Amino acid sequence: MAYSNKVIDHYNNPRNVGTLDKASSEVGTGLVGAPECGDVMRLQIKVNPETQIIEDAKFKTFGCGSAIASSSLATEWIKGKNVEDALAIKNTDIVKELALPPVKIHCSVLAEDAIRAAIGDWKKKQSASQAAPVTAEAK
Amino acid sequence: MATETNIPTGNAVATEGASLCWSCNAALAGNAHFCPNCGKVQPSTPIDYFEFFSLGAAPARKLDIDLPALEREFYRLSRKLHPDVFARASTREQQWSLEKSSQLNDAYRTLKDPIARTQYLLELEGVKLEEQSSAATLVARTSGEEKKQVVPPELLEEVFELNMQLQEMRMNKEMGEDDPAIVSDLQNAKSRFETMLDDLTSELKSYWNEWDATISAPGSSESDRIRVRDKLVDLLNRRSYIRNLVRDVNQALAG
Ligand code: FES
Ligand SMILES: [Zn+2]
Repeated sequence: MAYSNKVIDHYNNPRNVGTLDKASSEVGTGLVGAPECGDVMRLQIKVNPETQIIEDAKFKTFGCGSAIASSSLATEWIKGKNVEDALAIKNTDIVKELALPPVKIHCSVLAEDAIRAAIGDWKKKQSASQAAPVTAEAK
Repeated sequence: MATETNIPTGNAVATEGASLCWSCNAALAGNAHFCPNCGKVQPSTPIDYFEFFSLGAAPARKLDIDLPALEREFYRLSRKLHPDVFARASTREQQWSLEKSSQLNDAYRTLKDPIARTQYLLELEGVKLEEQSSAATLVARTSGEEKKQVVPPELLEEVFELNMQLQEMRMNKEMGEDDPAIVSDLQNAKSRFETMLDDLTSELKSYWNEWDATISAPGSSESDRIRVRDKLVDLLNRRSYIRNLVRDVNQALAG
């Protein structure tokens, strides 16, 4: 399997590998898998509650080179974006950037799923805390 | 080859799965590889692997097959289709026997392996295993809803945790030069994963039986069929994760 230079670069120097505090209300965690190959990926985001901007992102992927590169790239892309803009990232953007061949498309799907799942988890935490009666309007 | 354009493929009018021998006109069963009357090899036709081995045609392909019988049939046909046997036969008979040999090998390789066999059946049933996940992503993207993972989230959690542990053991092993404690950790993990895999295999076999019973039950409906089919799909999906763990732990032990 010939990997593109960009994939190799992310694979050799993955950006943002690591863990954020899963319990924090500012952190969203997405854990997703690709049943095609049995690879798993966890992506976490830390969102500023005032600005809705993703201030930090970390990932950990047990999978192929393309999945590692896709998640590494995904964390790079979403950092500094607000959550709505991050949700607009499509797997096809990743495919293009990394020049992934057709058999590796599912690896990029995994990264898109991970972004969505992490943001989904974060949103769930937000609405749960909003439902709590005591929160005062912060302005 | 221009000289071969007049091949009478399938020669006669095939009536209800039956056809006639191209050489002697004797009636043949639909998937007969050789004529029972004159013994000549018959034209190769694009049939599925189950049919190739007479293990039931659509929609009644059985999953729980008799492996020793399959193996015997494989060896019998291999001998009969061997190129040496056709050294003096016509070009087209040589051609057919070659095509059938390669079908035979593909069919045997697929059917003798429980997982490959199940995957193959699902493919014939129209399930596109590789496309499920991206299809679900597309739904999530357009609806804004959370994507439905094709395996249960608890399993993903567990697999992720196991991967973490395994990675730690691997790193320790690399640094600790065959520390017997780490090796035994890895060996424990290995037997744990293998047990998980074995459990899934027995579960698979119980679904095979359910499938076989469903397709042959007189009153069973399309929805019964789909229900069992989806159980098979679900199991294969879960299994890919466990298979990777077994692979990785073996690698760690070998490396
Ligand atoms: S091969 Fe499965 S994620 Fe790349
Ligand atoms: Zn004949």
